[in-house]
Amino acid sequence: MYNITTPITKSKIFNNHLKRVINDDAFAAKTIVVCSVLKDVFAYSVRYETTMNNKKIPEKRRPFVAAMDLASGVVTSIAQISVGFSIASPKVQNKLWNLIFKDAKFQNIGIAKKSFATILALIGSGVITERILVPLIATPLAAQVEKLFFKKEVNTENKSSTNAISKLKNNSMNIDTFIFTSDVKH
Amino acid sequence: MKIAPISINQKLANSLEKFSSQGGEKIANYINAGGKFAIAPLVIMYNPFTKESKENKKWAAIKQPVEAVITIAAQIASLGMLFKGIDKLAAKGKIKFKLVEEAQKTGVIPDSVLKMVNGDKNKAIGELNKLCLDIFKDRVGTLLTILLYVPILAVSNRIFPKVADLLVKDNDNV
Repeated sequence: MYNITTPITKSKIFNNHLKRVINDDAFAAKTIVVCSVLKDVFAYSVRYETTMNNKKIPEKRRPFVAAMDLASGVVTSIAQISVGFSIASPKVQNKLWNLIFKDAKFQNIGIAKKSFATILALIGSGVITERILVPLIATPLAAQVEKLFFKKEVNTENKSSTNAISKLKNNSMNIDTFIFTSDVKH
Repeated sequence: MKIAPISINQKLANSLEKFSSQGGEKIANYINAGGKFAIAPLVIMYNPFTKESKENKKWAAIKQPVEAVITIAAQIASLGMLFKGIDKLAAKGKIKFKLVEEAQKTGVIPDSVLKMVNGDKNKAIGELNKLCLDIFKDRVGTLLTILLYVPILAVSNRIFPKVADLLVKDNDNV
């Protein structure tokens, strides 16, 4: 019987993928981390587009905010994959499993081990890295980049004008821009 | 007769087994929403490197749990319907995996699956089919989650300013 799913469920690539996920817990956890990062990549791409078209953000600042969206997306993705893959490695998994579940009894230990690897890799990449480490690192980094970017921009526009620099420096971000950029950082 | 209390690691083991039955995509969505709901607002509010006003921080912090609740509600509802549909198709025999068909023909079943059913080859085919179906649902679920991102963002961008306005009393909001 043929239906819309047949080209996938009968394909060699998908069945090889199934085989690896079933046999290799680390690969299964890594796949879920990659899927989670793919969602973020899509989200950051959408944010980049919406930032470029957001008229509430001053035109002068728009390319920078959009560039920060893109840069944050790349940094977050790389950091998440690095941490997620490290946690999913069998060495780390075995140590943590023995530490937490040494004498515990399971109905289906195979599925429990697979889920354990997935959950830990996701907590490491999606919670600790994405929500804590990246925002803490990104905030001072963004400030430095912003400083450099706006200095450069003002210098090319009017080298003699120091008023423009102080005007930009004093011009605090409006709430829309802040929430937009905080979204990128968090 | 005295019943021995269940140890902490056994309680954790039981919770892990319960959580496992949800499948990878749902677990990923729960963890992501949990982090956004509970951790992200704290990091925004107490980030020592941010020099923003408290009101600005509050607004940005409120966006996170609002978006998390809307996202997880939409994901649970849509993934629930999608998975139900896939299960129905599978029950009718309309979703068949090459890997399962080969295992039925050759009798060669992955060791990890045999371990799950204590070496029972009759149960192993069913278990293999269930695993393949769960993985298939996870991958299709990821695609659906990506497709849902734009409408979810649009809805939460409409709702969150109202919630923030209610919670943050600030003259700037007027």
